[in-house]
Amino acid sequence: MYADRLHAVVRRLVDDDHDAEEVIQETFLRAWRAIDKFNGDSQFFTWLYRIGVNEASRRTARNRKRGPVVRLDDQVDPADDRPGPAQSVQHGDLRRVLEQAVRDLKPDYRAPLVLRDVEGLSTTQAADILGIGEAAFKSRLHRARLEVRSAIREYLPEDDHP
Amino acid sequence: MMREALLHPLRFAGDHRFTRAQASNYLEDELDAHSRERVEHHAHACPPCMRLLASLRRTVAALRTLRDGPSSSLPGVSESVLARLRDEPARDTGRDTGYAGG
Repeated sequence: MYADRLHAVVRRLVDDDHDAEEVIQETFLRAWRAIDKFNGDSQFFTWLYRIGVNEASRRTARNRKRGPVVRLDDQVDPADDRPGPAQSVQHGDLRRVLEQAVRDLKPDYRAPLVLRDVEGLSTTQAADILGIGEAAFKSRLHRARLEVRSAIREYLPEDDHP
Repeated sequence: MMREALLHPLRFAGDHRFTRAQASNYLEDELDAHSRERVEHHAHACPPCMRLLASLRRTVAALRTLRDGPSSSLPGVSESVLARLRDEPARDTGRDTGYAGG
């Protein structure tokens, strides 16, 4: 169960499936090597997520230094760049646009949004995993939500358009 | 909106900035009573802020649906992690962690 949820988080923080698999492997190995340092002050999954998020962050930073990663299988179909009226949009389209919007977030904004809004962790848990204060966490989360909202505005009811 | 903005322009502008900055905290019910009332009072007089709150609520609701997406299992990871662990030097942590690898 931990592995599946951790993979869902990590997959959204790194560039592709290959990186996600390597990060998960590294996470469990680091956890294994450091298991005697786990003192029980936090929940086990919080501790494991922290290792995973840090490892994903390292991987992403390394990739950024190497240059952009091209993921042919993940690219949005250019024909779908202009979605039609919200009434005719299929759920799958919104899902794909949402996933892309999450991927397009800066890492500092993406992680809070994935942990809080996608995974449903509490603010306290998510901030603890990221090693930042709750005020900073809330600020990043809010910025992330505003960016995602802008990305999916075509899918929101017209009454909601800013 | 116009009446409130014209009568109390500075207060309206301050409340507008406050509402936009605190929109997420409002939706999460993390504001104290005074701040919550300030947001609600302003939003009722400011259509753009009312739309912001509504659209943010829908955005968060949409994001929550991503969790229940296609299977996120990662076939092969368990085997590859176990293979790498087998290559690790033998360890003796001196206690039973109860850790079963999830």
